[in-house]
Amino acid sequence: MPKLTIDGHEVEVAAGTNLIEAARAAGVAIPYFCYHPYLTVVGQCRICMVEIAGQPRLALGCATPAADGMVVKVESSERAREAREAVMEFLLANHPLDCPVCDQAGECLLQDHSMREQNSAFSTHMTETRRTFPGYERRLIGPHVVQNQNRCIHCSRCIRFTREISGTAALTYKSRGNSTFIDTFDGTAFDDPMSACAADVCPVGALTVREFRFRKRSWKLLSTPSVCPGCSIGCNIFIDHHERVVYRFTPRENPAINATWLCDHGRFLAESLNEQAYLEPQHRTGGQTVRVGWGEALAGIAAELRDAAALRVVASANLSNEELFLARELFGRHLKGEIAVPVAPGEPRKMRNGKGDWLQATDPHPNSAGARRLGINVVDGEGLSRFLYGGAGLTLILDPGAHPFLASPEALQLLRVGTTVVWARREHAAAHAATWLLPTPSLAGNEGTFTSSAGAVQRFVQAFTAPGTVHRTATGAMSPSCPTIASPWGPPGEARPLWLTLTALAHELGVPALDFASPADVFAVMARNDKAFAGLAWETLGGLQQHESFRERQHVG
Amino acid sequence: MNTRPIVAASPEALQIVTFDAAMEARIAELLPRYPTRRAAILPVLWLCQERFGWISPGVVAAVAARLGEAPAFVEGVVSFYTMYQTAPPARYVLQVCTTLSCAWCGGRELVAHLKERLGISFGEITPDGTFQLVGVQCLGACGQAPVIQINDDYYENLDIAKLDAILDELAGRS
Repeated sequence: MPKLTIDGHEVEVAAGTNLIEAARAAGVAIPYFCYHPYLTVVGQCRICMVEIAGQPRLALGCATPAADGMVVKVESSERAREAREAVMEFLLANHPLDCPVCDQAGECLLQDHSMREQNSAFSTHMTETRRTFPGYERRLIGPHVVQNQNRCIHCSRCIRFTREISGTAALTYKSRGNSTFIDTFDGTAFDDPMSACAADVCPVGALTVREFRFRKRSWKLLSTPSVCPGCSIGCNIFIDHHERVVYRFTPRENPAINATWLCDHGRFLAESLNEQAYLEPQHRTGGQTVRVGWGEALAGIAAELRDAAALRVVASANLSNEELFLARELFGRHLKGEIAVPVAPGEPRKMRNGKGDWLQATDPHPNSAGARRLGINVVDGEGLSRFLYGGAGLTLILDPGAHPFLASPEALQLLRVGTTVVWARREHAAAHAATWLLPTPSLAGNEGTFTSSAGAVQRFVQAFTAPGTVHRTATGAMSPSCPTIASPWGPPGEARPLWLTLTALAHELGVPALDFASPADVFAVMARNDKAFAGLAWETLGGLQQHESFRERQHVG
Repeated sequence: MNTRPIVAASPEALQIVTFDAAMEARIAELLPRYPTRRAAILPVLWLCQERFGWISPGVVAAVAARLGEAPAFVEGVVSFYTMYQTAPPARYVLQVCTTLSCAWCGGRELVAHLKERLGISFGEITPDGTFQLVGVQCLGACGQAPVIQINDDYYENLDIAKLDAILDELAGRS
């Protein structure tokens, strides 16, 4: 374990750690553009030059491993500062100063570093006009990525990403010298399953994500840590949102699962979180649909539950562990109903973790593993059909999106036979067959945990609706974890998370043991009683406490 | 005059390229000379340029597949080096030295004359596809300035009269 001094701060790091990471551990920010913790080191941008005592030449922070007794000067070295200034002059010689109209502004490493060292007067010896790439200013190079070659600083991060991570090797430098530009083979579409990550790693605005461009200034966004609902791999994400609108998902660092990557399939589910077809509880009687308050709806459903001769509950692998647990306890144990979790077949998905290994999944649900571990009956489409054909006085559909079969005419006919209660957010045929319809919020309005296919129990945080939104702060610290919602009888016209209505139903039905105030409380009981969750603590789940994310780390200074 | 015309394959013919036995044999002969297959990209591309006259995207794809590289990477290599033709060349590519020694010894006049006679500028091809004019840096024959390289052959100590005679003969052949 080499121990070294960086700008007067002593720090001990693992052998092989480079100076950038060692300095980060010491609280010193060495600027960088081409370095990325999960890509090979190329030392191209030259901005990370530092002075090492006893060495005549400046060294590259990215390519120099920390050594015992090393004395490194970053901010305190006049030579290093001059070198950085010279590199910035070089990089800015051809960089358009279009930050006001650039979509990367606010999360641009070049801009950040310009701002950080703005006290030293940047000057330029250039008398020539800036180099431009006519025709390459806003070129759609793939379905999700827009290129502005004028802004490119030739760091090769995107190229290395496609070569080392996504494996498509779709991007390359073309031409040479001053006219080098980024392109695909023969101008074909940059069709990569993780294409938007190439825009993520771009330190400047040369590659931007088409879906997010010009929708929101990055500094207006709040980032709430969450888990991607796209498949069972369970990639860690931030939900970036503003005023209760979700603008994008961005990857959140987790070396064991998604490093700092996210596939396009998962990333572009973000927009679907804004759909909210149902806002108020509805009751259908005598062919008429009436909007009702939450109190009336829950009392009515509680009455149905008390009177039901037989109860069938279709849960979902999209629900959190807490919701599945509550459903199992309330409907299974207390009300003696039958519960099934349908799992639909899905497209194959893959993700490369921090070690470079591929994680695979064909399960389109984020929490099938959780349902299995909770011992709930997991069924396929055929099993679901049999389950529904079993016939029941009362059927509860906790999530119509659980399986495509629930939207089939066959299923709808079955649902219309008895009384049906449906919890739904997006427009769905089953909602029209419901006697009671209860609106639920999206992932962004809920909180809880998912269990990934590899068995990691990971927490997602509520982004908005309730007070206590967790956001990214300047230091990367998370604000207090779980907001307690004082009353389940919130204002009308609001979707309520399923866990909340389940605890409220438990209250109505006189099951005080399940009348929890928060998912954290539910989880505490699960951790005590369920082997699958034994020893886990809500506060430390899913890496929420362990480090600042890479995206935050990128914005040091 | 030995200068052989370049026989360039048509773009259509080079959309999808497969290497015949002769090409495969030459590639197999090349590969052991290099530590990695990646290192053999340049000579294999050169072989292809000899064989097809130029490097089309189809050729790039074929070379990439043969050497286990990504097509984008091979295309990047092709675009880096100026001596790879990425479009069908003319039958005779005139590479005129524009560097100091040649320029002083009459190179500038040769360039002006060529441009006027052929009606094209650097980088262009005559409409009949016979001549292509390329301005290049030093050809390493300053002692015999001014110099023009036509396809693989050097023509040295040129003046306008000699150049016209050469062009007449080459044009007459085609």
